[in-house]
Amino acid sequence: METVTRDLVLEALKKVEDPEIHRDIVSLGMVKDLEIANGKVAFTVELTTPACPLRERIHDDCKQALAGIEGITALDISFGAQVRGSKSGAGQTDLLPTVKNVVLVASGKGGVGKSTVAVNLAAALKMHGAATGLLDADIYGPSVPILMGIKEEPQKVSVNGGFKLAPPIAHNLPVMSIGFFLEPDQAVIWRGPMLGKALHQLMGDVHWGDLDYLVVDMPPGTGDVQITFSQQLKVSGAVLVATPQDVALADVIRAKSMFDKVMIPIIGIIENMSYFVCDGCGKRHEIFSRGGAQRAAERFKIPFLGEVPIIPSIREWGDKGVPIVVREPNSEVSKVFLQIASRLAGQLSVISETSRRAQSLKIISS
Amino acid sequence: MANPIPVEINHMKEKGLVRITWDDGHVGDYPRDYLRGYCPCASCQGHGGGIKFISVPDAKLAEISAVGNYAILFQWQDGHSTGIYTFEFLRALCPCPGCKESNPHAEK
Repeated sequence: METVTRDLVLEALKKVEDPEIHRDIVSLGMVKDLEIANGKVAFTVELTTPACPLRERIHDDCKQALAGIEGITALDISFGAQVRGSKSGAGQTDLLPTVKNVVLVASGKGGVGKSTVAVNLAAALKMHGAATGLLDADIYGPSVPILMGIKEEPQKVSVNGGFKLAPPIAHNLPVMSIGFFLEPDQAVIWRGPMLGKALHQLMGDVHWGDLDYLVVDMPPGTGDVQITFSQQLKVSGAVLVATPQDVALADVIRAKSMFDKVMIPIIGIIENMSYFVCDGCGKRHEIFSRGGAQRAAERFKIPFLGEVPIIPSIREWGDKGVPIVVREPNSEVSKVFLQIASRLAGQLSVISETSRRAQSLKIISS
Repeated sequence: MANPIPVEINHMKEKGLVRITWDDGHVGDYPRDYLRGYCPCASCQGHGGGIKFISVPDAKLAEISAVGNYAILFQWQDGHSTGIYTFEFLRALCPCPGCKESNPHAEK
């Protein structure tokens, strides 16, 4: 007779908490395909993201939790991933029903390397195994086509009887940019309503397909594009990119206060151009000072996602249209981006638990 | 604890008021004229600082809709539709006896 029962196992696994969401993995519905035969216990833990940074910890915690049950002769824990949606916004139309998470990469000021961070984050999420897309919403300075090395234009495809635009695929990522529709060297000189219309089209009229994450490269500042997202489009949250010096941080704080005001969650802050390691002497130079973004993160209780060094090859390969994460996946800087992507995905899993709160507004008339 | 957000907005036409239920359990009844008078849009309030009450008697609501994660848009039957009331502002405006005393906008 089987002494190890389903109930016993599930009861024991209730002691295992998801380290980020802080609830037990059984009530979160993460334990799947539980099979018990002759004391052999096998199940799958369905993580909330393939980029989960805590796989090993959950594995060990499960093992420990089940150690107290007598009669288990073998244990087989496998891992799967089902990315959860975290978009919120009761007042917005969901232009992207097949996209689970929309992440805005934003900053208070220009020139902090937002686009570089955005393309490498998208590439890193993809390398972790998540279906990822990249949207260049930097209407004024669309640089993603260059950074991704895309020359072709989006093609029209027929979808459900209508037409949509198929995004060009570069380095395994579907990419859309306003830059595809401009003549080279032409500027976009548009007021708010035109920008809003263009954004709607870049999202809704594009055949994105099923995506776990859509990374959006935002224009700098707190202007029309940000207002359009906050009022009309569903997003999961924003990642703030900053350089370390005090004067740049003042602008990060402004960006933060804007997202707070429109209640878009801030997923975390990334410090770019943190330091430069000299290829001659190996000394670490902190060109723009250091740790400012981390201090800001602590002060405002925003998760700090990591610091990206200044490395000439990031720029060099960026100009050639290859994200460094794709070009040199085993380099130190790529490890940094992969780690930031993991932390970002982890924070999004947390947000997906809380975003339901904002979804529940009922407007009625009686 | 995060700032309270509304869970239900009920336009009670007969009574001429809007009842807002918040996620912290608070309930406030906002008369339509009161809501219209405190319209926060720039054409009602200008850019001069403090919030003023501008009386528009017999205001009738045409439509209520949510704006993003953070605000409510009230559209009026006279065509006025530029007032985006943030949750924070709406809560501060709550006219119930308990809130009224601390309401920074109330003048009565």
